[in-house]
Amino acid sequence: MTFEIAAGNNVHTVSISRKGALLQVAIGDRTVVVDARRVGELELSLLVSTDGSARPVQCVDAALAAHKTAGDFDVHVAGRTIPVQVRLAGGFGRQNKVAAAAGTGPQRIIAPMPGKIVRVLVKAGDEVKARQGLVVVEAMKMENELRAARDGRVRDVVVVAGQSVDAGTLLLVVE
Amino acid sequence: MKKILIANRGEIAVRVIRACRDMGIGTVAIYSECDRAALHVRLADEAWPVGPSAPRESYLRIDAIIDVAKKSGADAVHPGYGFLAENEDFAAACRDAGLVFIGPSPEAITLMGSKTAARQAAIKAGVPVVPGTEEPLSEQTSDADVLAVAEGIGYPLMLKAVAGGGGKGMRMVASAEELPAALRAARSEAQSAFGDGAVYLERRILAPRHIEVQLLGDHHGTVLPFVERECSIQRRHQKVVEESPSLAVSPELRRRMTSAAAAVARTVGYTNAGTIEFLLDTDGSFFFLEMNTRLQVEHPITEMVTGVDLVQWQIRIARGERLDLAPESLLTPRAHAIECRIYAEDPDHGFLPSPGRIQGLRVPQGPGVRDDSGAYEGGDVPIFYDPMISKLITWGETRDHAIARMKRALAEYQVRGIRTTIPFFQWLLDDPDFKAARFDTTFIDRKMGAPGSGPLQVIDTAHEELAVIAAAVHMFTRPPARVATASAPVSQWQQAGREEALR
Repeated sequence: MTFEIAAGNNVHTVSISRKGALLQVAIGDRTVVVDARRVGELELSLLVSTDGSARPVQCVDAALAAHKTAGDFDVHVAGRTIPVQVRLAGGFGRQNKVAAAAGTGPQRIIAPMPGKIVRVLVKAGDEVKARQGLVVVEAMKMENELRAARDGRVRDVVVVAGQSVDAGTLLLVVE
Repeated sequence: MKKILIANRGEIAVRVIRACRDMGIGTVAIYSECDRAALHVRLADEAWPVGPSAPRESYLRIDAIIDVAKKSGADAVHPGYGFLAENEDFAAACRDAGLVFIGPSPEAITLMGSKTAARQAAIKAGVPVVPGTEEPLSEQTSDADVLAVAEGIGYPLMLKAVAGGGGKGMRMVASAEELPAALRAARSEAQSAFGDGAVYLERRILAPRHIEVQLLGDHHGTVLPFVERECSIQRRHQKVVEESPSLAVSPELRRRMTSAAAAVARTVGYTNAGTIEFLLDTDGSFFFLEMNTRLQVEHPITEMVTGVDLVQWQIRIARGERLDLAPESLLTPRAHAIECRIYAEDPDHGFLPSPGRIQGLRVPQGPGVRDDSGAYEGGDVPIFYDPMISKLITWGETRDHAIARMKRALAEYQVRGIRTTIPFFQWLLDDPDFKAARFDTTFIDRKMGAPGSGPLQVIDTAHEELAVIAAAVHMFTRPPARVATASAPVSQWQQAGREEALR
């Protein structure tokens, strides 16, 4: 079966099939052989073949953490944490695939946790630069500044200073 | 002393429980609503509820905690750090209730808790202080008066809360124009954090190191200092990495700094564990900064290089024992130790707190590794408290050896389901200036604010591909049983996967 898997700024097309006791995984123009053992509900011990060989010997200890959206995971591998989104082939759609790859489209700034709005640093119509602070939320005893991921223009500001917000509340939109 | 109530939560409550168990002393934990299944509750002998999750309604409730101490039959109270650890009313309430407070006297807490009184104590002990205001500037002091005082000290300067700690109510002020806004912000932060908006001013030393000296004092007049801790690696004035010894401190400087620290403690008749913080200037001169009248977060690195169990000694001192450790051995570090504070924060998204359930946890093991943690697999990191979940400490024969072990341990450490500061430390430990110990307290903020500083975690193509392969394998081989019981709705790809498998 074939998946589309977004990681970093790329969307990889991955085809996977059984080959006896092993798995064959085609990723881009590369095909590797994988010996997979599930060692926990979300933990895998993988042996992966390296270039030009069909012998799976490279040790890859991988563990996943599931996000709320089905198919979205943090993959922990080689001391790194790598967020991925897995969809069936075509699952991203043409536009979303482009957006996922290029990091475009409106940025919806969401409250990451319950807290209180301390300050709103921008107003609708403002031009903002990447990493510019947009809104300050107090939670876990700390003031946290939420920043723009990319350059853009503030479209809507939905909250005001002093307001309490729940996790997931839309705060503002940058386009 | 038969039974100790631990007036805290998280990793430090667990640390104190362990010391008590080592000594055959019973333990009473307290917990707020959201902490019913926290690790410190699971490990203690007894656990008593003290109120709702908000700290003000539970871990800061002096009356409720004293009540539990009496009902449970505890004869002593260990406050840990944070919460009520530096609250003189709590120490006094324990004494009034006939409980031994495992810490300094309420009088010492009051004296050293006031930054301005502490400065005066240091001056009395003949220890240099950073030039600044000797009297607190109350909330009633006008901007004009504060500006006049500031002119006398000179810019840049530091504006600090008199009742401060942990970087709260603290601002750097570069010029007179910045002062009024900084004053407003510092006062409001100090008022909400400590209930006291008074501030003071101090000259800013441009590239100082933060060096501190651990002390123990008994009730028979003995005060012993320990080899210094290097705590210059700070983010927004909060320590994130500590090590002992400091590469910037020669044996001769160590002798002078530790003697100065002990002199301050003796001047105020200090007992139990405490720490004197100094700023060390580039020319080797040092200034008293403040005293912390409690156990420090970073106490394990001192334990690693001296072999002394500081928490156990806190308890022994509190029950009247004599401090009979060999003074020279405490000033002679055995090799090198380093600590990384692991926070539930996302370092690649502005260190945003990342509370939630820990879906999976793999704790590093092996030679030279110590993990002081309040976390477990399946446990929650609540939104109500400090987001530090554990402290990872490594010991090595040399600084390089300790750092290499730390890198190995961080690579093994998996905290799944929430984001943590582990990638931040991986970035830091590879920094050439850090590796060469060329840093001061502005190091992190300078490096991270530098133009062109990218994300901390650089994912190369090879690792990205491995993550993609792992995700694909997981999806393809996920047992069907889980699909039927999963709380998430069955998705199309799961259906398709099962159909494909039947072919």
